[in-house]
Amino acid sequence: MATVEQAPAAAPFIRQDGKDKVTGLGRYTADLSLTGMLYAKFRYADHTHARILRIDTARARQLPGVFAVITHADVPDVRYGAFVQDRTLFAKDVVRFEGELVAAVAALTPEIAAAAVELIEIDYEPLPAVADVEAALAEGATLVHEGWADYSAADEVVRDGNDCSRSTIVKGDIESGLASADVVVKERYVADMSHAVPIEPHAVVAQWNGDKVTVWSSTQVPFMARAGVATTLEMSEADVRIVVPLLGGGFGGKCEFHFEAQVAALARAARRPVRLVFSRREEFVAPDHRREGQVIELETGVMNDGTLVARRGRLVLDNGAYGADAPFFPQLAAMMAVGPYRVPHVSVDASLAYTNTAPSGSVRAPSAPQSCWAVEQHMDSIAGRLGIDPVELRRRNIVKPGDEGSTRQVYDAIGAAETLEKAAELIGYGRELPDDEAIGVACGFWPSFSMPSGAFVKIHGDGSGTIVTGAQECGTGAVMALPLLAAEVLCMRPEQFTIVYQDTDAGPWDAGASGSQTTFNNGRAVIQAAHDIREQLLDLAAEELEASRDDLELGDGMVRVKGSPTKSVEISALAETAAGDKLLLGRGSGSPPPVPDVDASGCTGRLGMESWVGPTFITHAVRCKVDRETGVVRVLEVAAAHDSGRVLNRIGADGQVEGGVVMGIGMALSEGIQLSDDGRQLNPYLLDYKLATASDAPPITVHWVEVPDPGAGPNGAKGVAEPPCVPTPGAIANAIAKVTGARVHRLPMTPTRVWEAMQS
Amino acid sequence: MTATYTSAERVDDALAALAAGARPVAGGTDLVVGARHGKAPLPESLVAIHDVAELRGITGSDGGLRLAAMVSHAEIVGHPDVRARYPALADASAIVGSHATRHVGTIGGNLMNASPAMETGGPLICFGAEAVLRSVRGERRVAVADLLVGPGSTSAEPDELLVAVLLPVQPRGAGSCYLRLEYRRHMEIAVVGVTCAVTLAAGGGVEQARIAITALAPTIRRVPEAEQALAGGGADAVSVAAVAVAAAAQPISDVRATADYRRAMAQVIARRAITAALARARGEHVPIPASPALHGAT
Repeated sequence: MATVEQAPAAAPFIRQDGKDKVTGLGRYTADLSLTGMLYAKFRYADHTHARILRIDTARARQLPGVFAVITHADVPDVRYGAFVQDRTLFAKDVVRFEGELVAAVAALTPEIAAAAVELIEIDYEPLPAVADVEAALAEGATLVHEGWADYSAADEVVRDGNDCSRSTIVKGDIESGLASADVVVKERYVADMSHAVPIEPHAVVAQWNGDKVTVWSSTQVPFMARAGVATTLEMSEADVRIVVPLLGGGFGGKCEFHFEAQVAALARAARRPVRLVFSRREEFVAPDHRREGQVIELETGVMNDGTLVARRGRLVLDNGAYGADAPFFPQLAAMMAVGPYRVPHVSVDASLAYTNTAPSGSVRAPSAPQSCWAVEQHMDSIAGRLGIDPVELRRRNIVKPGDEGSTRQVYDAIGAAETLEKAAELIGYGRELPDDEAIGVACGFWPSFSMPSGAFVKIHGDGSGTIVTGAQECGTGAVMALPLLAAEVLCMRPEQFTIVYQDTDAGPWDAGASGSQTTFNNGRAVIQAAHDIREQLLDLAAEELEASRDDLELGDGMVRVKGSPTKSVEISALAETAAGDKLLLGRGSGSPPPVPDVDASGCTGRLGMESWVGPTFITHAVRCKVDRETGVVRVLEVAAAHDSGRVLNRIGADGQVEGGVVMGIGMALSEGIQLSDDGRQLNPYLLDYKLATASDAPPITVHWVEVPDPGAGPNGAKGVAEPPCVPTPGAIANAIAKVTGARVHRLPMTPTRVWEAMQS
Repeated sequence: MTATYTSAERVDDALAALAAGARPVAGGTDLVVGARHGKAPLPESLVAIHDVAELRGITGSDGGLRLAAMVSHAEIVGHPDVRARYPALADASAIVGSHATRHVGTIGGNLMNASPAMETGGPLICFGAEAVLRSVRGERRVAVADLLVGPGSTSAEPDELLVAVLLPVQPRGAGSCYLRLEYRRHMEIAVVGVTCAVTLAAGGGVEQARIAITALAPTIRRVPEAEQALAGGGADAVSVAAVAVAAAAQPISDVRATADYRRAMAQVIARRAITAALARARGEHVPIPASPALHGAT
């Protein structure tokens, strides 16, 4: 397989929202101020698990300046949830985590609202709290949801008590596979839960106009938010409009539906617009969405020459108190537990355990960085046992075109092996280093997500254009880069296009800034809409130039007759003509690429992750320095080689890798939720929930292995946003183990844990 | 919530406000951030002192230095006399918070916040610095070591304003270093910190040693056993002193580290701080701040 070395020339392209964001002109949800607006404050649960015996809001209501106090009794009694309908807008009878909403207040000032929530009287009967995932699945464990069996749920979800979703991946015969191996290596790893930590905390503003509500929200998924409001408040989606002002990051933490309905209900009760803005502490304890912790047990049979024969895995993911969008994570984690390697005999069992902690949900590549961290350390352990170089072990097992994955998906054109070779080459693998430094390598993979999406393209009378899209810009630049795609089709310049986006009343449906899907799906829609315009331009030009349509071509902002450059008409002239008659309006959605058929018989809890469209492959190689006395690790250099198909916007794609690597460094070394025995977060603030800072970011070299994949997205592109998060922690772990001779079995690998590993 | 906010132009205005019950605010990096985090509500009455010119500037004083209360960490780090004669203080101010914190945060605020994890306390104690406290009742000087009486607590009266910190003259042959264990490169708080200030005799032996621990006890304090071990010790004096530092520590287990790890790190960081202070005393170059260089950063 030849790889395309040359990257498409990065056009000097300045994203349209860049200047506003950099200069402070940009308006975010928290900046909105409406006439008569009130301030919202939530009353959170006082226990992590308790039965509510009585709620009395009378004193809060009587506080001057309070306009509304609402609880579960004031909203429709609707259970909702993406896979399992296990929750309500406000706690009904039982609270299940510290950030659970019991009541909400709207008041004239934030201070009055804060005082009022304290006046709400709640009597509880405390229940035993389940904080540990393995304890949650043990025999006789306290049930987080006593009535779990009565909840409605998607048919494919396999549930049992505290196990919210169980998936298995089975191929070959695990027992005979392990029995036939020369060596069997067994290990156990534990990853702590972590957070998305966007710069902008959650903010929601709601305003009613008759029976219709407009909600401005810091959501990554406006159409899901619209559906959530409609479902829970028992309204028609047509009466709900979600608008997202500039979004200050999300990283998955603002996926799904959060708080839009509660604030809308408050605004309706108060008969005034209401604004909610989270504090940083609330963003930690109540965001309703964080990365799940995992317990990962791996057992691998391998031949003396390094050939992998069998992989058994047992994973327990922590779900937190509610299922949210997490029930498909076990299947995803089970895929991750095998990694991008050929393994004939596979048996992986993954569960999602309810606990009395904040609900987990999709945070940038959900389940993958944690399980990849374990699997890639396991690969290095195996290499150590066999006396084979870790890169060589991967080289002998990594999937190639035509190989079969753990669910018998046969890979088409992929560049996994090329990413391994390139990352090793770029970091200078094998070179001499000071004795406190080492290079660690990790491979990973991640699916693209094929979904419907839509866009309109308008060409105005002056020849400029507007893209009207349902896509959501969460900071990645994916929406900002859509003009590149339209301009390419129409031979115009990207800066000739404006973008209307983040308004559910304007753009067609889109799945939002999730699943690395914006370019993959909305890019396809915009390209098709631009082609629609192109056809209309050719029709108009054929008439104008009195030429056959087949003889025409687009170029340099005009339509011209092939071979006769003087016979041409400017697009702006055609647009002006059209403006007096039939307007230039293009629309597109395209067909989502089909998911490959696989024979995943024997696998259970199948929630769509057994077959991947446009799979991406990644290798990261990191050079680390470890202070052996303190356990402090510094990442000095990272080489990242990615197969994400064809790269459509090099600057944007490189930025995704750089950000993903830095996020991975934080996850690897310092970012972790610390819990009390009853499931409260002990470090809900930025001083002790330590993100990697800009100063911690090492030089990062990015290489794109551009393998044309016929099953991929527009122009051969695959997802770009999530993969960079996947292998960094594993690569860092392997570098640490090389320097110290000790494996760290707990994520994050804090200085204390690195030091403890060296002591034992 | 603050009901009254006044801005003083002269120290006397500020003292009058304090006498009437107001609390002072300068950079606000502890006070305002703490209030937002729910640590303590903002005081009922605040007097802003950022316009008081008298509270600014670093000047010479009896061969030593006088740091007015409003001197920022950035000014301290950039001052050639501090860097040359009190490098441990420059080490400390250079690693407080972030770039932004260091330009807004002041020595006065850092000291009067009295956190056991504050950076400048250890160096000031080891240099024998004094706090100048003034009120409508007059002015007095208190050794910094006596000012810090508990976590978040000083011996200053509520109506007293810290107007300056006095750094006494340092003898020839002096060298010092403040070192902090750092998990990441910026935005850190001390989990373990050690200051060492030494004076070498003409023959190269340690004539005088002062060693203080930060974030290892309820207040920042000196460790006499370690000082004696270093000043009177033989070839292994540095190691013995470092062991004494660890023995004197009263570490706790919390979200930042376990007690075992803290105690072990007290010894490591002490050894490195002492070694760096001795190197500076000998005229060898140790970068400011010392912490990143001695923590495996490149």
